[in-house]
Amino acid sequence: MVKLLSFEKSLKPLYEELKEKRKNAQSTDYIEEKIAETLKKIYSNLTPYDIVQIARHPDRPHTTDYINALFTDFLELHGDRKFGDDPAIIAGIGYFNGKVTGVIGHRKGRNLKENLRYNFGMAEPEGYRKALRVAHLISERFKAPIITLLDTPGASPTIGAEERGQAEAIAYNLQELFNIPTPIVAIVIGEGGSGGALGIGIADKLLMLKYSIYSVISPEGCASILWRDASKAKEAANALKLTANDLYKLHIVDKIIEEPAGGAHRHREEVIQAVGKEAQKALNTLSRLSKKKLLEKRKEKFINIGVYNE
Amino acid sequence: MNIFKRKKKIIKVPIVTEEERAKPVRCKSCGRLISYAELKKNLKVCPYCGYHFRMTAGERINLIADEDTFSEIDTEVKAVDMLNFKDVVTYKNRIKQAKERTGLDSAAVTGKAKIGGFDAAIGTFAFEFIGGSLGSATGEKITRLIEYAKKRELPLVIVFSSGGERIQEGIYSLMQVAKIIYAIDSFKESGGLFISILTNPTYCGTATIAMAGNVVIAEKGASISISGPRLAKQVAKKNILPKLEQAESLIENGLLDIVVDRHLLKSTIVRLLKYYNRRRI
Ligand SMILES: [Zn+2]
Repeated sequence: MVKLLSFEKSLKPLYEELKEKRKNAQSTDYIEEKIAETLKKIYSNLTPYDIVQIARHPDRPHTTDYINALFTDFLELHGDRKFGDDPAIIAGIGYFNGKVTGVIGHRKGRNLKENLRYNFGMAEPEGYRKALRVAHLISERFKAPIITLLDTPGASPTIGAEERGQAEAIAYNLQELFNIPTPIVAIVIGEGGSGGALGIGIADKLLMLKYSIYSVISPEGCASILWRDASKAKEAANALKLTANDLYKLHIVDKIIEEPAGGAHRHREEVIQAVGKEAQKALNTLSRLSKKKLLEKRKEKFINIGVYNE
Repeated sequence: MNIFKRKKKIIKVPIVTEEERAKPVRCKSCGRLISYAELKKNLKVCPYCGYHFRMTAGERINLIADEDTFSEIDTEVKAVDMLNFKDVVTYKNRIKQAKERTGLDSAAVTGKAKIGGFDAAIGTFAFEFIGGSLGSATGEKITRLIEYAKKRELPLVIVFSSGGERIQEGIYSLMQVAKIIYAIDSFKESGGLFISILTNPTYCGTATIAMAGNVVIAEKGASISISGPRLAKQVAKKNILPKLEQAESLIENGLLDIVVDRHLLKSTIVRLLKYYNRRRI
C-alpha cells in the first residue's frame, strides 16, 4: 500500500477494504471508485504544506525513473576530474525521442540505505562540478540540448562541502550555465531546494510539476529562523509562495505540468510521460532559436527578475 | 529601467545615541571593555585581541573610499513587500523599521568613488538593514552597480556583509543570486576586475556571489558559509574547532586569495587597483 500522507488519513479504511476485497477475490470496482473520488476531493483542496509533503513522497518518481522511462541508450558519465564522483548527481547522455540529448539531475534514493548513499539528493561540490563538466561536454562536443531534473532538499550542508568550495562550485555553475550554447530545459520534479537546485537550474525554460516546490529555503528552515519555532512550517510554507501555481503567477515558472489527483506517486507512468511530452515541446520551441538569441533570452530572463520600488 | 541614473547623496551613518557613545563596549571575543571612542579610532577592531566588530555600510564606505569622493547611485531603488509576507511581524513592518533605523532603503549602498586615487565602482551590503539580506531591491542595486562599472570600465569592489537571501521575498531573493552572477560574468568577460571583500558574516547566496570575485579577500575572522548560520550553530554545538568555517581555515582550503586585517584592507585594495591600472592593454 502506498504510504499515506497526513492529510490523506481518511483514505486508510478505504485502502484496507480494498486490500481485503482483493484477498477475497471480490470485485473492487466500487471501492476503487470511492478512493478516486476521495482523492479528487482531497487534492482539490491542498494547502502549500500538503504539497511540500507530496513533493517529498518517497514513491514519487525520481530522476532515475525519468531517465529509465524517457531515454534509450543512456550512458552515465562519472566524476568531476578534480576530486571525486558524487552519486547525488546523475549526469549522462542518451536518446530522448530519438535525438541525442543530455540529462543531469539530483538523485534521491527509494529507501534509507539508498538515501544514505545518495545523501538524500544533496550534492557535494563534486556533484556540481560533475554536472558542469558534463553540460560542457554535451553541448560543445555532441551539440545536444540538456534536460535538468531538479529534486533536492538543498546543497550538502556539511563542513566538508564548505571546505571543498561548495559556494565556489555553485557560483561557477551559475556563471557557466549562462554560456552553455545549446538549449537547457529545467524541470522541478520534486523539491527545488534553494541554491542546491539553482546550481543546476539555470535554463531557457523552467517547468514544474504541479505538486513540486521551489523555494529559497525549506519551510522548516524558514520557520526556525523567522518564527524561531520549527513547528510553524505550515505557516512558513504558506508565506514562502513555493508551489507551482504561486511561482507561475510570480512569472518564475514557464509552464506547470499537471498531475492527476493522488499525485505522481500514484500515477507514475502517466506523470513521467507528461514530463517527457512537455520537455519535448519546450525543446522544440528552443531549437528554433539561433545560438545568439538563445543565450540572450536566457540572460534576459534572469536579469529581469525582482520586484522593487523606484 | 533607468539604469545609469546618478545622484549625489551623502550617506547616513546610523546615529549612535549619546548614551551608547558613553557606554563602553564589551568585546565579543576577549570580553574586555573598550570605550566607544577607542573602538571607533581602531576601525572597530578590538585593540586587545584583534576581534573585528561589524561595520555599517557608511563606515565601510568611509574606510575604503578616499575622503569626500563617494557619490551614491540608484538611491531611488527601494525594498518592497511583494508577497505580503508575514511571520511574527509583517515584512512591511520590518522594512519600515529598517528604513527608520538606518536611513537606507535597501541592504545595499552603491556608487562611485576614488580608492587610493583610482576611480572605482564600489558597493557594500548593509548588515544593519535586515541582516544585509539579499532582496530584489538589493539585488537590483548590486546588478546596476556591476553594469555601471562595465559601462564605464571601472574596477569593481563589493563588500559582503550579509546573512544570505531575504527569505521574506521568497523565490525572488534566490533568483537575485543568478541575476548578479550573470552580471558579474558579463563584467568579467569584458575585462573588468572584480575585487570581492568578505566580511563577517557572508552566508548562503551572498557567499556564492562573493566567490565569483576575480580576487577574493576576507577580513580576519570573517564567518563564511554557503549553508549559513544553521551550520555555524551546528558547529558551535559540537564544539569542534570553532574556526573551521572562518576565513583563516578557508584560505588553507584554497578558497580565498587573501585574509587581511581591517587596518590593511584599503591598502591591499589600492595595491590591486594599482596593478590593474598599469596593466598592458
Ligand atoms: Zn577583544
